[in-house]
Amino acid sequence: MATVVRMPQMGESVVEGTILRWLKQPGERVAKLEPLLTISTDKIDTELPAPVDGVLLEIAVPEGATVRAGTVIATIGAVGERVAPATPPSVAAPAVTAPVTTSSAAAPAAPTRDTRPTGRAFISPVVARMSAEHGVDLAQVPGTGLGGRITRKDLEAYLANVRREVAEGEEGAAVAAPEPLPQLDAEDVLEPLSTMRRAIAQHMVLSKRTSPHVTTICEADMTAVVRHREANKRTFTRNGATLTYTAYFIAAAVAALRAVPEVNSRFTDAGIVRHARMHIGVAVALPDGLLVPVIRNADELSLAGIARALNDLVNRARDGLLKPDEIRGGTFTITNHGTGGSLIATPIINQPQSAILGVGAIVKRPVVRSSSASLLPSADDAIVIRPMVYLSLTFDHRVLDGAQADRFLTAVKEQLENWEN
Amino acid sequence: MADHGYQYDVVVVGSGPGGYVAAIRAAQLGLKTAIVERENLGGVCLNWGCIPTKALIHNAEILEELHNAADYGFSFDNLKVDFGKAVKRSRDIVSRQTKGVGFLMKKNKIEVIEGHGVFVDSHTLQVTPSEFKPEAKEQRITAANFIIATGARARSLPGTQIDGDRIIQYRDAIVLKEVPKKLIVVGSGAIGMEFSYVYSTYGAEVTVVEMLDQILPLEDAEVAAEVQKVFSKRGVTMLTSTRTEKVEIGADGVTVTVKNVKTDEVQTLTADKVLMAIGVQPNTDSLGLDAAGVKVEKRGFIEIDEVMRTNVPHIYAIGDCTGKLALAHVASAMAIVAAETIAGAPTLPIPADRYIFMPRATYCDPQVASLGYTEAQAKEKGFEVKVGKFPFMPNGKAQALNAKVGFVKIIADAKYGEILGAHLVGPGVTELLPELSLAQMMEITPAEIARNVHAHPTLSEVLMEAAHAVEGHPIHM
Ligand SMILES: Cc1cc2nc3c(=O)[nH]c(=O)nc-3n(C[C@H](O)[C@H](O)[C@H](O)COP(=O)(O)OP(=O)(O)OC[C@H]3O[C@@H](n4cnc5c(N)ncnc54)[C@H](O)[C@@H]3O)c2cc1C
Repeated sequence: MATVVRMPQMGESVVEGTILRWLKQPGERVAKLEPLLTISTDKIDTELPAPVDGVLLEIAVPEGATVRAGTVIATIGAVGERVAPATPPSVAAPAVTAPVTTSSAAAPAAPTRDTRPTGRAFISPVVARMSAEHGVDLAQVPGTGLGGRITRKDLEAYLANVRREVAEGEEGAAVAAPEPLPQLDAEDVLEPLSTMRRAIAQHMVLSKRTSPHVTTICEADMTAVVRHREANKRTFTRNGATLTYTAYFIAAAVAALRAVPEVNSRFTDAGIVRHARMHIGVAVALPDGLLVPVIRNADELSLAGIARALNDLVNRARDGLLKPDEIRGGTFTITNHGTGGSLIATPIINQPQSAILGVGAIVKRPVVRSSSASLLPSADDAIVIRPMVYLSLTFDHRVLDGAQADRFLTAVKEQLENWEN
Repeated sequence: MADHGYQYDVVVVGSGPGGYVAAIRAAQLGLKTAIVERENLGGVCLNWGCIPTKALIHNAEILEELHNAADYGFSFDNLKVDFGKAVKRSRDIVSRQTKGVGFLMKKNKIEVIEGHGVFVDSHTLQVTPSEFKPEAKEQRITAANFIIATGARARSLPGTQIDGDRIIQYRDAIVLKEVPKKLIVVGSGAIGMEFSYVYSTYGAEVTVVEMLDQILPLEDAEVAAEVQKVFSKRGVTMLTSTRTEKVEIGADGVTVTVKNVKTDEVQTLTADKVLMAIGVQPNTDSLGLDAAGVKVEKRGFIEIDEVMRTNVPHIYAIGDCTGKLALAHVASAMAIVAAETIAGAPTLPIPADRYIFMPRATYCDPQVASLGYTEAQAKEKGFEVKVGKFPFMPNGKAQALNAKVGFVKIIADAKYGEILGAHLVGPGVTELLPELSLAQMMEITPAEIARNVHAHPTLSEVLMEAAHAVEGHPIHM
């Protein structure tokens, strides 16, 4: 019995993937868990292993094509087997917009379309004119013609889909109806969108549209943290890890989430999901975009454990070696925008989470310390120089109100200012 | 194929251009294949349809040229015409062609099973001796998949029995011993017009009766008018908007009562023979489809999806028995999709709305070839159209061939240029159609066809000019 290989869902909000390279060709033997192909999602490039031992019978989606998660991309069978006729593999055309194929092995499946890779596919004059008029990026349009050629009908279906998505305002509208090509001045260049850029754009628009964002800001005195770090960083280095301030902020956030668990949540129409576990996403800037690897069960880790996990994720994020599991499932996110010198920022919530903590640069600033409780000037007032940081919490006002947000932020602040051991 | 316990991976029922092509494609893809046929291999197309008619038509074309011999400077006064020889020539071609199919079956290791097949359940076919194959062995065969390609047969008017002598159908008309003096042809589709052409050229007095308001009712009105002009000159009477009310066999002929549906005027026509050419009905009635659970629509045609699958997932149907577009090449195209789907090989499904864009051809003189919508249909569909038309008359090659009539008409979408229809009438136009059907499939527009250089002098230049005409600037006009 042949086994179909489907495009996996690589993350909660990752709905599609691009085939980068087939590492096996039809007819070749594959061993279970042996790398079969490499794929790229908006978040990550990764190898997919073969699910079973056998022979690669058919590749249904050519290199370079982008398909929805769940789409059948290949069939693996026993040696000598051909694709079983009574239950031909359901191989949908590479379809960004096509519904996810769900037919089971028992049900008669969709026809096998001819999607042999043909390099750069022929664009018919009719399709060329039509796409120019509508400003469509043809790379986004799945083709059902011979060799995956885009037909007029495919383009019409794509446009209809885009119109519907825009009308319904669902996710995906960001892919939608690109405007006609912008007018370029003589020395302007038009840089095509990378998969990551496009995904970031989609997610940002989606998040802004989904959640009413509110930001609250406070400052924290980092003296205790700095002192602790100065005292401990050498030990850490010796143990092969770098003790960054981000690790402290994560630890502080975990403590605050414990104190105000409502923040560790997610809004759904059915109700607010309160997460029991604390999986903390940390935004990592890359040369061409942004990734948010997740430290799982951060509430079970010591500062050292957090630092080590963070080191590892950041290094592998920069090398493009993260596994899909490592960039999904976060319940709260921290972005340390201060590493670039920024003092205050109001980040966008990483959907479907409820809040994101922004951390600015730690700078020495004069601050007033006083033993007097009064706000009026007093002889007890003193101006001192302290390492200070601005903390911002951007939260989804559907889930949280200002009071909880401020309680959370205060908890972070207190954790940092009273850092001990 | 996986071990399924049936005798065959695929059994094809019927060996016309649908069935035998399906069998070959299935065998090529490594499936263990058998084909069941109750008559000779090749189906209607090779035995009674496409092939023998084209042979007779070529005879008629030569005869017509001989009639025009003076135009070329030939004269003779002892021209002898042997119709029997024409029929014999066509039968010889048929027997060569059907042998060729037998050879292809052998070459592809396809088992040919003679006899009439009837389903007893969805995986079993009972084969029994038939009228044509009385020696056939009674047997039951089982298969994992079936492709039904049983074709269709001539239909008659309700209450009128085809007797094969006075009231005939194409199977009789293709092997007549002699040319009838007077022939009435009921129906003016491709088959009616082709036989009218052959018999009128061979000297019969032919009357064509058509219920709809133009001859060749599926074709563009301008094309039909052009053909009507030529047939009138040839002496063929064509009664359109005329319903055949009654056909009665008398002592020395037939009497046909017809009524003009617009004026209610009734006429009585007499002839030696009446040819029923009003269409076909599917061979799905004695096939045990109930036992297999296969659904048919109310006229008996089998319902299929875009990969030719019936409601029973392992039973497929192709060709004339599906009532899509009853033409041989359509059956063959469907055959390939069905076989590839069964084998799980990549294929290109045929959605229901593609059939209209498949080529249609009528081989009378002038020839008619078309695809897509007529001008009227395109407008009805709401397209804003651009129409380009160019006659054969000014074309040098056409003049050399002594061809004076006809034109190429291309209908394109005004906005994006997509070809919506192409309608050709004139010399050899059936051979000119592929350029347009390829263009249509690949969504190439008249603008590219016009810029595609066509050899001079050829008839295809007219096509190029029609494409220029769509763009508004034909050269030789
Ligand atoms: C006079 C005439 C001229 C034509 N000219 C053209 C032309 O020029 N171009 C063109 O494209 N088309 C032409 N056609 C149409 C063309 O012949 C048909 O479209 C074509 O033959 C359909 O192919 P098919 O495979 O579906 O069925 P058929 O060719 O009809 O084949 C069906 C076969 O199945 C067999 N069969 C049926 N039931 C059973 C059973 N139960 N068990 C076993 N065997 C069975 C029949 O004996 C037959 O051999 C013409 C038709 C006619 C009548």
